[in-house]
Amino acid sequence: MARNGLRYQVATKWQDSFRRFNQREPGISGLIAFSQAWDVATEFLKPRNINEPLPPRQYTQAVRAALDVIHKSKRLPTLIETFLSQVESLFYLIQQEVDQFMIEYTADLDVGIISKMVYRVHEWMKEWTPATELGAAFQSVYINFFQTHLFSILPESFSSAFKDLIASTLAPEEEGEALKQDHQIWSTFDALGFIDRFESLIASVGYEHIERHVLETCTGQWGEPMLTPTRDWMTAKIVPWMIHVYGRNITSTEEARAMLAGVGSRFDFHMAKTLCDLRTREIFDIIIDFPDSEGALKDLKECLQRVDQRAALVQSLRQAHRKRLLHPGADTKLILSQYVATIKCLRIVDPPGVLLFKVADPIRRYLRDRPDTIRSIVANLVGDDDSGDALVDETEPPRPLQAAEIEDYSDPNWEPEPIDAGPDFRANKPSDIISTLVSIYDSKDFFVKELQILLAQRLLAAGDDQSDKVEKERRNIEILKIRFGEAALQVCEVMLKDMTDSKRIDQHIQSQQASVIHPAIISKHFWPALESSEILMPGQLKELQDQYTAEFTKFKPDKRLRWLTHLGTVDVELEFEDRVVEALVSPLEAAVIELFSEQSEWTLDDIAKRVGLSQPNILSKAVNTWLDLGVLASAGEGIYRVLEVSAGKGAEAKDHVHRPTTVEVEMPPVVSVQQQQAEQMRVYWKFIEGMLTNLGALPLDRIQTMLKFAPGYDRTITQLAGFMEAARREDLVTVRDGMWKLNK
Amino acid sequence: MKVKIKQWNAVAQWRWDTGNKDAADDEEGDVCGICRVPFEGCCPSCRVPGDDCPLIWGECSHVFHMHCLLKWIGTAASKQQCPMDRRPWATAERRVDNAPPPTT
Repeated sequence: MARNGLRYQVATKWQDSFRRFNQREPGISGLIAFSQAWDVATEFLKPRNINEPLPPRQYTQAVRAALDVIHKSKRLPTLIETFLSQVESLFYLIQQEVDQFMIEYTADLDVGIISKMVYRVHEWMKEWTPATELGAAFQSVYINFFQTHLFSILPESFSSAFKDLIASTLAPEEEGEALKQDHQIWSTFDALGFIDRFESLIASVGYEHIERHVLETCTGQWGEPMLTPTRDWMTAKIVPWMIHVYGRNITSTEEARAMLAGVGSRFDFHMAKTLCDLRTREIFDIIIDFPDSEGALKDLKECLQRVDQRAALVQSLRQAHRKRLLHPGADTKLILSQYVATIKCLRIVDPPGVLLFKVADPIRRYLRDRPDTIRSIVANLVGDDDSGDALVDETEPPRPLQAAEIEDYSDPNWEPEPIDAGPDFRANKPSDIISTLVSIYDSKDFFVKELQILLAQRLLAAGDDQSDKVEKERRNIEILKIRFGEAALQVCEVMLKDMTDSKRIDQHIQSQQASVIHPAIISKHFWPALESSEILMPGQLKELQDQYTAEFTKFKPDKRLRWLTHLGTVDVELEFEDRVVEALVSPLEAAVIELFSEQSEWTLDDIAKRVGLSQPNILSKAVNTWLDLGVLASAGEGIYRVLEVSAGKGAEAKDHVHRPTTVEVEMPPVVSVQQQQAEQMRVYWKFIEGMLTNLGALPLDRIQTMLKFAPGYDRTITQLAGFMEAARREDLVTVRDGMWKLNK
Repeated sequence: MKVKIKQWNAVAQWRWDTGNKDAADDEEGDVCGICRVPFEGCCPSCRVPGDDCPLIWGECSHVFHMHCLLKWIGTAASKQQCPMDRRPWATAERRVDNAPPPTT
């Protein structure tokens, strides 16, 4: 039953089809007519080898009739299929040519070959294109088919070759001619479907071109902002090119604007990113060059708004600092000035200071560990810098140090912290540089102490014309008072007063009894600890001191003088039989030579006994000074003799005559802060020793707790640890599992 | 060889002559019995040491910063006594030949 039904159905279908082919003509005449029409149509459409001379195709009446017939029989799709398979079977011709072109290109690397190839392929395509009369659908199917096959036969190397070709269209050429050519080749590309297919490739050519241009024109050019010129260049060069690529269908300005908004901003973004990357790489050197590199910083600021590369910038800068700045080879002064420059630069790039906060942190931590940071900052503050290149902008009026402000939420201009601010970010109100530097340390006391030491050195090193220098120091101190506050610098004030008082006292005493000794009389407790040494002055030096002391006591009956004999300078004149030697020397050196005026030969040991100095190295240094000046000569091991007649050097020695020789006067040996601290810590050693004797081994925090009972103990546990470590090095204590024990 | 000193820029410290000879060479000077600040320092109400903050000698041989002692004597609790030994305070006439330190 079912079988019969099926058979019936097939038979009906067959009848239907047959009738359609036959066009309801009698017999099979319809069928014959169809097959004729088919032949005509296929012949008309048949793809041909364009290398052979061919008559032009003509869309004749016959063809049209034939197509009509096929259309009526609903066989048009089959016709297309047939046509396409013919195309496919002839594609080897194109492939051969393409291969040939590619071989040539690989040999020559001339992009002209590729453009020829493109044109040639286009010719093939045009040749095979079915006539427009067949309808748009037919054509688009053909184009699709052709393109698909074309892409499949293109060798791998084509994409790079094509890229070169595109790049050549961007290369600077003469305007008019090139543009016309460009237009032609771009429409060809479009026809072949290359633009859609290779869109990313074309875009990458554009990106690369921009990148190259940015790198070429902007690298190392920090003086002027480069962003605007680069944008101008984009408008002049890239936009016309972009219009070829993306703007081929653009008819109205509206569309053009839409295109530029999309594609154009993509290119602009890429440009900004490239510039940003470049500046990020260069940032360290840009900062070094500041303020000559302000343009670059402005660029960076704008680029960062466009491109989110802030994290990269921070990372790059931190890395550069780690590699180039924060290592033992860098001078502290250098690190400081770079830090200051960084502050100034990043303030331009990022006014809220988030970047600065992130970048500055490692520098600050590093500086805190450096022993001479405070000294460098203070030296710079008082203008004691050799380089003369002050960290502080002179034009900036001195302001009091600013403490970290608590955020004022009632401020109508309050702004939230920037989005990438870390949790410990403190809004760094644009405070001045000195406040920032001082805030590296928790307390400004360190600075005041260091300032005191520095001032002491400078005051005591001051020569005859002290009043000028003292005046200068006073001015410095006045400025610093504004920053550090009056009370903190009271000590310095007393030091300066000591200097002027000394001068007045000296004037009085000189008027009573003229003397060549001009002491600076200092108030012990207001000066940094000066290294004490007990040099006993011999002969006339002692007399000078005693005379002066006597006069002083007459003038100030309830005060006495205590000489710090190792400080100061002595201007001596030595008369020999044949010459006179003048020299500016230290008191110890003067004492040594004074001894030689008593007797002409001394041993080092005897000298040491007379001047009461136990350190032989200091003494031999003093003796060496005279050896260098040709006043003394060595006469055997540790024995020295005066050269009454200069040692046979004749003319050379004569040169020395009457020429004052200045021995380099060293900075007075003022005890540094660290030494002072260690010295003060030593006071507590007795306590520590006692408790370790009584209680056995103790952990560090226990020692700290117990020491807190000691009067005036204000050390942190870290300082204590440092001290205990020092004691361990001296083999006074041992440590085991964190328990400290006396070493017996 | 003759040595001629043309100029000597020396450095010296001043200290009060408290009459205590033993303490003369002591590293740490004596402190005022009232404010516990060294004599060569200045009393808590002064900022500049030396002639501006002189000492005062009592007949009981005790020495203080003048300002410290005057302040003490000024309080009712002092009963005009030396704070160290509770004897009635009498300022010593040290060195009759010298006027009190000139104030500058």
